[in-house]
Amino acid sequence: MAKYTPPEQSKAMQWVDIIFVVAAIFFALWFPLWMGWAGVSRAIEKIDNPTWEALGQTPAQVEQWVKLGFADAAAAHDIIQNKFDYHIDWMQLIILAIVIIGYFVFLFQASDKEYREVIDEKFNGK
Amino acid sequence: MWITVVNIGWAVSALLVAWMVYDWFRIDSTYSEATLTSSREGEIEAASEKHKL
Amino acid sequence: MAKAAQASSSAVQRVSLLRVLGPAHVWALGVGIVLVGEYTGWNFAADKGGTLAALIICWVIGLLYTSVAMIDSEVTSTVAAAGGQYAQAKHIVGPLMAFNVALYLVFAYTMLEVSNAILIADTIKAYAGEGFTDWHYRGVIATVIVVLAALNYRGVLMTLNVNFVITAIAYLAIIVLFFSVQPWSQGAVLKLGEMVTPENALPYGWIGVIAAFHWGIWYYLGIEGTTQAAEEVRSPARSLPYGTMAGMITLLIGASLTWYICASLMPWQYLGFTYYPLLDAGKLTGSAALETMMFVATILAALASANGCINDAARAWFSLGRDRYLPQWFSAVHPRYRTPYRSILFLLPIALAFAFIANLGQAITFSILSGILQYTFMSINIIKFRQKWPLGTIRRGYTHPFHPLPAIVLFILCVVTYFAIFLGYGAQLTAMVVFYIVMSLWFHFYRYRYVRRGDQFTMPWPKPNGY
Repeated sequence: MAKYTPPEQSKAMQWVDIIFVVAAIFFALWFPLWMGWAGVSRAIEKIDNPTWEALGQTPAQVEQWVKLGFADAAAAHDIIQNKFDYHIDWMQLIILAIVIIGYFVFLFQASDKEYREVIDEKFNGK
Repeated sequence: MWITVVNIGWAVSALLVAWMVYDWFRIDSTYSEATLTSSREGEIEAASEKHKL
Repeated sequence: MAKAAQASSSAVQRVSLLRVLGPAHVWALGVGIVLVGEYTGWNFAADKGGTLAALIICWVIGLLYTSVAMIDSEVTSTVAAAGGQYAQAKHIVGPLMAFNVALYLVFAYTMLEVSNAILIADTIKAYAGEGFTDWHYRGVIATVIVVLAALNYRGVLMTLNVNFVITAIAYLAIIVLFFSVQPWSQGAVLKLGEMVTPENALPYGWIGVIAAFHWGIWYYLGIEGTTQAAEEVRSPARSLPYGTMAGMITLLIGASLTWYICASLMPWQYLGFTYYPLLDAGKLTGSAALETMMFVATILAALASANGCINDAARAWFSLGRDRYLPQWFSAVHPRYRTPYRSILFLLPIALAFAFIANLGQAITFSILSGILQYTFMSINIIKFRQKWPLGTIRRGYTHPFHPLPAIVLFILCVVTYFAIFLGYGAQLTAMVVFYIVMSLWFHFYRYRYVRRGDQFTMPWPKPNGY
């Protein structure tokens, strides 16, 4: 098999490639923020005029809360009542599964194709 | 105290960035690109560790 | 005349990274990156599933990482090149996989570095008092990132010597704290039975334990970074497995002690909320000396981690340039300091930009996601490695036992972790994978044309089975 000789890349195009990679990284980080996806699915279950008992804290636990600077139950209310919502959105889960599996299938298949060329040139080309 | 420490930190950071950029330009203009990018993966193994079973 | 002579001699002169590191440096690199996870991050597992869930996943994820360390030690003791898992992927799976792995590495480490800088700034801000403005907050971040980058620029030996010292101090602080709270007599300082009750141990039930896998990763994330030093270690086949395994044992002990101290001192809701569980534990002992010690240790742990991250991310980026996966310009080695100086300089403003603007939770989640994608790759990688080069066909510095059990355990735990991240962070996970798909398409259909085919395979191995 003929040895593959890559084309020379111009300095300007090298910069274009670098800028593309950096832009993609920044985009990946900020896109979920713009879309408001970065938030976690959780909500504060409000209790009016909370007491330590209503928040389910034992006296020993209250002692630690106070040492940590939470003078009364109202101060700790938002932390204690901030609950996760673990109901499963099956549609989203299925989409996610397809995306991840599709990604890995493409990754391994395309890699294998490229890998065969590498091995051919390295071992069979001699 | 932290205020002073942080202000010194800014100054030190600026100095270090200046030094790194200076050193970068100095090295890039002293040595050829071929020398600088002459590192090759695995060459040390090939030279120093004979691959025997 | 002199200049001409220098130019002609430098035409043949070769510069490469310097082989100066020993097993202690490997330990310092691995544990240094990870130990900050004990100081912050692991405790969000309590947020997702309660204090008991945090303990369960401490050990289950410990199993995941023991598999990672075993698998990684075998492959890397054979493929000893800078870039670590990147070079492994290139020799065992193929170029596109290698490109993705390098991106996982750069992402995981840069985002971790950013998180560390933000953590240090937050910690100092909490103690600085009046007059500490945004300017000062950013000053802390800038100082951390720039000083550590300069240290990395100046040479790897000094960088990892510093890491060894500060990591050891931060680790000793956990041990000292553990013995100062009289762990042998519950009730004196520690009140495990009163903080963790049957009613609140698993507030969300078992689904909470699954969800907690997400943050459990933070107990150990980055231990696999030891392999990045492969090209700078004096005897990689021996030092890498030894340093990595020693690091893993250190971390398992540290994680268990940390859980025991914090779970015995804080109600689970607070534990899941705070950014500095060990510092709070120091505060709750009522001793100003212990509190100060944990304050210093938190900062040192974050510094060690950021330092190791700069080291690792730069080497992954450098390797990408060396194979022309990215412009070759990045593969320059400093002729005097023998470091990948252009990669270090290039990543510096990127880290700074993210640390100034990005959101901490986002940065950490991206780091975890990149890590878990990488572990999924590793579980498949080792199976392929044993298929293409069965035992006895090439010399391995270390051969991991019970194959393929660790690979299967690792794969299953990765799948569970994807599900755990989905619980609460599903959209981000999808967005992240879409990012990697776009990058993969870009590489496969465009960028790969600039890569020399046969040159990528650099190991002196026989032809793989089946090709």
